[in-house]
Parts: sequence; structure tokens; C-alpha cells
Amino acid sequence: MHIPDGILPLPLTLGGYAACAAAVFFCLHRIKKRPEPAADIPKAALLTSAFFVASLIHIPVPPASVHLMLSGLLGVLLGFFAIPAILIGLFFQAVMFGHGGLTTLGINGVIIGFPAMAAHYIFRFGTRGKHGPKPTATFAFLAGALAIMLSVLLFALLLVTAVPADMGAAVEKTAMLVIIAAHVPLALVEGVITAMTATFLLRVSPRVLHGV
Amino acid sequence: MSCNVPQTKTSVLHRMDPRFRLVGLFVLIFAYSFVSDFRLLGAMLIFTLMLFFISGLPARFIVQKLKLPSLIILVLVLILPFVSGQNTLLDLGFISLKQEGLHASGVIAARFLCIITTVMIVLHTAPLLTHVQAMRAMGLPWIMADMALLTGRYLEVLGCDLGRMQTAMRLRGLNASRPGLYMLRTRAWLCGSLLVRGLERADWVYRAMRLRGYGQNRTATLQFRATALDMAVLSAALLAAGTVMGLEIWFGL
Repeated sequence: MHIPDGILPLPLTLGGYAACAAAVFFCLHRIKKRPEPAADIPKAALLTSAFFVASLIHIPVPPASVHLMLSGLLGVLLGFFAIPAILIGLFFQAVMFGHGGLTTLGINGVIIGFPAMAAHYIFRFGTRGKHGPKPTATFAFLAGALAIMLSVLLFALLLVTAVPADMGAAVEKTAMLVIIAAHVPLALVEGVITAMTATFLLRVSPRVLHGV
Repeated sequence: MSCNVPQTKTSVLHRMDPRFRLVGLFVLIFAYSFVSDFRLLGAMLIFTLMLFFISGLPARFIVQKLKLPSLIILVLVLILPFVSGQNTLLDLGFISLKQEGLHASGVIAARFLCIITTVMIVLHTAPLLTHVQAMRAMGLPWIMADMALLTGRYLEVLGCDLGRMQTAMRLRGLNASRPGLYMLRTRAWLCGSLLVRGLERADWVYRAMRLRGYGQNRTATLQFRATALDMAVLSAALLAAGTVMGLEIWFGL
């Protein structure tokens, strides 16, 4: 769900960078308020590496297979480190594999990063004062699935409206519906995986679930 | 999964100060994303080809990187000529080829090809982590720079961990293609184990970093030195980008 280079007009790509810079500034401001921000950096960085690697795991969804995005889980575990982590991950993906792009790094950061932060708040507020596997699984599912659906919505909206061609309102509407409908199974799979991973972490190592 | 660069002969691009290389790269790719005139797109393609020859990178390396074209680009390039525009170039009865769609499709393909090739060429003339250090020297916040350096460093390590865990799962009889909740649970536990390992390793990494003085002195050590060659190449990149953007505006008037 990365928008590659070459599609979006220059003002939109620059706008994406501006929005991302503002979000990163806010996140870093919150991180620096912590008593020892340097202590959390290795944790955030190694979890970012783990997410990057885990996103390479294939999930068979017949007749094809899909890659996990894990942006919801990343938001849940990394909190304010999520947007910087996503930008770093997107940068490595663009340079190492050619996925996404450097001109669209900001806009892709918005598409994936903002829903990840939404997932963080959904999980934290949802599980506040509640312990046990049931609320953890429920809110982890919501965080994982909604993060993907929000990303898909932003992705479809940007892709369909910003393509340098006049497709007509009807075609644009159909294209958006097709993109959104095609990603519903992925959102459900991500929701289930996020819920299962969260309950696994709750059993095996609850401190990971408390986040960075 | 590695942040290393292919072994090649050293070119002008290899010898450049990474900070100047990064500024030149971003100026060029943003200028490319502004262009929609076919004459300029042709010039951009020629310029990119020249850059490739100057870089001295093996053709096989670039082709390998371009083998993974974005699916979105492929879909857009194939579909747009048939769904976008009013002027019909070719009517096949049930479907017709449109002039505007064909133009948009060509613009997207050319821009994508030029930008991705330029990025691959420029950023593979030095290790990726050198470019992160250059960004730090240019003002990237230290939290982001440290995170990026550590993430890059541990990608390979955790990638190997994942490979070992998957091999162990297969040896224990996991049927990787079996769909259903069982498979999802296995993947979720695999993902969870990777996260637990990552966090446990982070504790040791942080202790080792503290012992080496991490967090004591935050001033960035400037290890890059610009030369006249850097200034000349950056000026050439700025001139090329400025010319392309100026001509795009002029042609559009």
C-alpha cells in the first residue's frame, strides 16, 4: 500500500513531507519529555527492524498470498515512536527494494503512520483499566483492522484523485470501491494476526505489550 | 536483506561527499516529478542513462532492482489508456484507446523509471548507513538518526533469526501453505517471537552502548568534507533540475 514515485504531482508530495515533518516534530517532542529518551531508542529501533522483517512473512490468502503490514501492531507497541519508525522503514524499503519511493516518502508516511497512531489510541484507551486476553484481543483486532482500512481509504483517495488523468467521476468512484473492497480480506487477516500476536505477547512477555 | 553496496570501480559519484550527493538526488527527483512534457521526459531518460554510465554500477544490479516494479505502476500504465480521456485513437468495439490516457500512462512510466533508477544509482554508490550519517550531519534529529542506524544494523540480524525460525518450523512439520486459523496463529506466534527476541536484544544493545559512552555527548561528529568536485556536481544537478522545471513551465504556458 505504498504510492510509488512518478504518480503524484509535486505540490502533493511536498505537502506529504510537510505533514509528516509536523507529525515527527510532535512525536519527538513527546519522546524528549520522557525521563531518559535515549534508553528507549534501541528498543524502538530493534522493534522497527523486527516489524520490517515480520512484514516479509507471507500469509496464504487463496488464490494468492499477501504480505503483512502490521501498522496497527506497530502503533500499539511503539506509540509515539511509530511515525518515526514507519518513516525509517519506508526509507529502507524504497532504497533496498524499490517499494514506495523517495518523493512519496512523506505521503506514504501519512498513509501508514497516521492510522498507526490511531491504532495506538484505540488500543490504549480500549484496554485502559482492563486486563486479560479478551479485551486485549478485541482491541488489538480493532486496532489492526482499522489501521489497515484507514490506510486503504487514504491510499485510494489519494491515488484516484491525484492520478494525472481525467477518468470521470463514475470511473473514479468504481476504482475507489474496487481498491477498498480488495483490501477488506487483508484488513481482517491483519486484525486477526494483531489480536493473536497481542494475546501471545500478553502470555509470553507482557512488557513488550506495554510498548516502548 | 543487506544495506551493503555492490563492489564496483569508483566513479565521481562514489567519491562525492554524501551530503552533496543527497541534496543533488532530492533536487533531481523532485524536479522529475514535476515534468509532464514528453520532450523533457525524453531528456530525463537520456540524463538518467548518462548517470548510470557515470556511476559505473553493473547493469545487472540495476536491472535486478528494476525487476520489482510496483504493481500499482503496472496496473495504472496498462489501464489508464483505456479508461481515461475523451479523444479516441483506436476503437476496438468493446474497448477504445484514448489519447489522454495514453499520455498520462507514458508520463507516469517515464517519471517512475527515471526517479527509481536515479535513486538506485545514487544511493548505491555508498553504504546506506553512510547516507543516514550524512542526513544526521545535515540536521536530521538525533533520535531519528540513531533509530535509523540501529534499524539498518539489525535488519540483517533479525532477518537471519526469522530464516532460522522458519526453517525450524518446517523441520517440525509445519505446512506453510495450509490456510485457516491454524496457519494464522502460527504466523502470529512467529511474529510475536520475533518481537520478543528484538526487545530482549535491545536491552543488551543499550547496555553495550552505554558502556561505550552513548548518550554522554550528543554533538554530531562532522566526518564529511566537501571539495570543489562536490560543488561542481551539485551545481550541475541544480542546473539540470532548474532547466527541466523552467522548460516545463515555459512549455505549459
